[in-house]
Amino acid sequence: MKVIEVENLSKIFRVKRKEKGMRGSIKAIFKPKMKEIKAVDGVSFTVEEGEMLAFIGPNGAGKSTTIKMLTGILYPDGGNVKVLGIDPTKRRKQLAYEIGTVFGQKEQLWTHLTPYDNFRFFGAIYDIADGEIEKRIEELSDTFVLSDFINTPVRNLSLGQRIRCEIAASLIHKPKVLFLDEPTIGLDPVVKENIRSLIQQMNREFHTTIFLTSHDTGDIEKLCKRVIIVNSGQIVLDDSMAHLKFSDASLEDIIMEIYRSR
Amino acid sequence: MLTAVKGKGRHTSRTMSMRNQLRVCLLSIQYNIMREMINKVTFLTNICFMILNNASFLVQWVILFQLKDEIGGYTLKEIMLLWGLCASSYGLSHILFARVFSLPELIINGKLDAYLVLPKNVLLGVMTSSTNTSAIGDLAYGLIVASLSGFQVKRMLLFLLFTVTGAVMITAFALLLGSLSFWLVRMELFGDQMVNVVISFATYPDGIFKGAVKTLLYFMIPTGMMVYQPVHVMTDFDLKGLLVVIGYAGALSVAAVTVFYRGLRRYSSGNLMGARV
Amino acid sequence: MILNKLGIQRSLKDNQLAENSWVEPIGYNLRKGRSVFMRKYVVIYRSVLMENLQYIGNIALGFVSYFIFIFVFINLWDYLYAEPGMRIAGYTKEQMIWYVMITEMIWFGSRSEAVVGQVTADIRGGNIAYLMNKPYHYTLYILARHTGEWCIRIPMYALFAAAIGLTMVGEIEGFGLLALLPSAISIVLGITINGIFKLCISLVSFWIEDVHPFQWMYDKLILIVGTVFPIEIFPAAMRPFMKLTPIYTVCYGPAKLVVDFHMEQYPEILSAQLLYLGVGTSLMFFLYGKGVKKLYVNGG
Repeated sequence: MKVIEVENLSKIFRVKRKEKGMRGSIKAIFKPKMKEIKAVDGVSFTVEEGEMLAFIGPNGAGKSTTIKMLTGILYPDGGNVKVLGIDPTKRRKQLAYEIGTVFGQKEQLWTHLTPYDNFRFFGAIYDIADGEIEKRIEELSDTFVLSDFINTPVRNLSLGQRIRCEIAASLIHKPKVLFLDEPTIGLDPVVKENIRSLIQQMNREFHTTIFLTSHDTGDIEKLCKRVIIVNSGQIVLDDSMAHLKFSDASLEDIIMEIYRSR
Repeated sequence: MLTAVKGKGRHTSRTMSMRNQLRVCLLSIQYNIMREMINKVTFLTNICFMILNNASFLVQWVILFQLKDEIGGYTLKEIMLLWGLCASSYGLSHILFARVFSLPELIINGKLDAYLVLPKNVLLGVMTSSTNTSAIGDLAYGLIVASLSGFQVKRMLLFLLFTVTGAVMITAFALLLGSLSFWLVRMELFGDQMVNVVISFATYPDGIFKGAVKTLLYFMIPTGMMVYQPVHVMTDFDLKGLLVVIGYAGALSVAAVTVFYRGLRRYSSGNLMGARV
Repeated sequence: MILNKLGIQRSLKDNQLAENSWVEPIGYNLRKGRSVFMRKYVVIYRSVLMENLQYIGNIALGFVSYFIFIFVFINLWDYLYAEPGMRIAGYTKEQMIWYVMITEMIWFGSRSEAVVGQVTADIRGGNIAYLMNKPYHYTLYILARHTGEWCIRIPMYALFAAAIGLTMVGEIEGFGLLALLPSAISIVLGITINGIFKLCISLVSFWIEDVHPFQWMYDKLILIVGTVFPIEIFPAAMRPFMKLTPIYTVCYGPAKLVVDFHMEQYPEILSAQLLYLGVGTSLMFFLYGKGVKKLYVNGG
């Protein structure tokens, strides 16, 4: 079953451009020059259920823009998107019940509350009944080993503990697809490893589809069997990890080579 | 294992989902206030100082009423009602919906993402995501002053009703101006200034303004319907006047919400900042 | 509520300024003499001035609040001065409105991040430990920045006030342009005294966690009692007391000179200001010295 279907997707940002100096500033007030930037330019791909996909590319390549269109944050300017058969632009809320998102640098938890209270809050957001949510918190607490700090306010947790809670919170409603945007950014190697095995575990146990962006080749290598590389808004490579690693060179070198060549 | 929760949200009836939405909003507001209460001393001083702050302006009016018994058709009693209503409306809207007043910052820096991935109403999620402690002082001050200006049950009920309509109007006005940030950058200062303008006028009797200005106060900015008309209705009851206020609040809200959702389609999620030009 | 909105308006520039504030330790050698000694403060002042020039647009947006405030008062006094030629507390209508315009100009135009936000943040954040070993006196450094700030704002507000006044209020009877020069000196003194007092309150941060309530009380005193009405409007019993407060030197004095200049009153106001300046500066040095000493004893 196809979980994500993307066809000819594109997004254009219009940015004001100003000429140099005072004259440019004045001109810009009356007749602003707009420049169009194709952040995503005719991207097509599909993802099967249970797949673990790395979606990578250099900064500004259009990764986040794509993820944001898949999750209903941004309106596409062209093309079609279906996630679990749902069009994110038309039925954003309905889709939200089925997917989970973790944006590494952005926190969704209330920092003055404990993880437990946070989970209760998200339970309310996803309309989970009271009895059920207790059970679910227990499950997550077991899986992510949260019991030591589940009653400590989030602001007093270490970064690694916090990320574990963030991921746990985004799984509270048992999403079928999990979007991870640089989930391991800023974490130490031990915690990184820990997060990676948790993601793997989820994929194995619940058959959750994982859509991952990361600059960390470790994440990609460890987790994903398939890689899509984007550059300047276009897909430049869509292949299996095995194919990509045809030589003895490290994945990092291979990826760098591909970034540079386009 | 995956099956238990599935599909629940999708199949809940309309009233159920509205009840859940309300529950989430109330939880948000409750958590916001709890967050402010972490430092109890700061919390209480903020509130008390705001009450004192507002009260200090009464000095100005005591002096002015020494010069003349009535100003613009108002005596000290009506001034207190006017001030009280302005403060309580402003307070209520900043307790519940403080985030609306910093909406441009959220839009420009792409901070709406978190609300867009949740299966609940985006606007309500954003609106209820922060609070303003000193606003509790504003609300308290408003209620105190209104009671002091001559307590009557009917008038007090009207006062509460107008506090709600006033809060709706100032929130909707800020939302309307803030939403313009979807199209134009650098709206934040302008929106702030306009809210200031509304409040500045709202603490002086409308009787001192004439002609065109008076019209502007009713049609350009919501000051007229937020405080002047309600004060008239409270001192001299008039059902039609009351309904007009409620209608105005409703119409302004619809306009603001429409503009917000129109703009949301243009939301760029902070990508403009990072984009290479 | 209202004050909060009007009073606290921060902009990006303050962060940027804080970062740039390490520049030019010119005139490092203090023994070179007085002119070199003062020069570094002139350089600090100049660089803040140039920084602020970039934010003229933001400053001009503040005109909206100022205009509304004045506009409301024009209407209010129009209403209260029922007949032409009437006087309230000895002031004509024009004088009364110009009075508010001048005091509010001082209030809006001398709003300063340096003396309030920056000092408090430096002390509470521990940055002061580095700043006090710089080859300048910290308080004078802050005052130089304060001056750089108001040197842009005040002229802008003055022009704006003049434009509103001449179009919407009219000239004051018997107003002499010549009187503006001595009045301007008094305005500058008033702004500086205000800055020093606010700086002194900020310096109390050496001992107290949060000095905002004190800033706030000072602001309240100036704003409610000092800017809206001239002292003469208050009950006679209160007036002598009010002459002792900073109100007299910060807003009443300068504004009174502009709207109703009397040669006899000038020395009185000016000497009161100089006295305040002296007392304020001593207090500033005293508090800073004590605070730094405390820092040395207790550590940062």
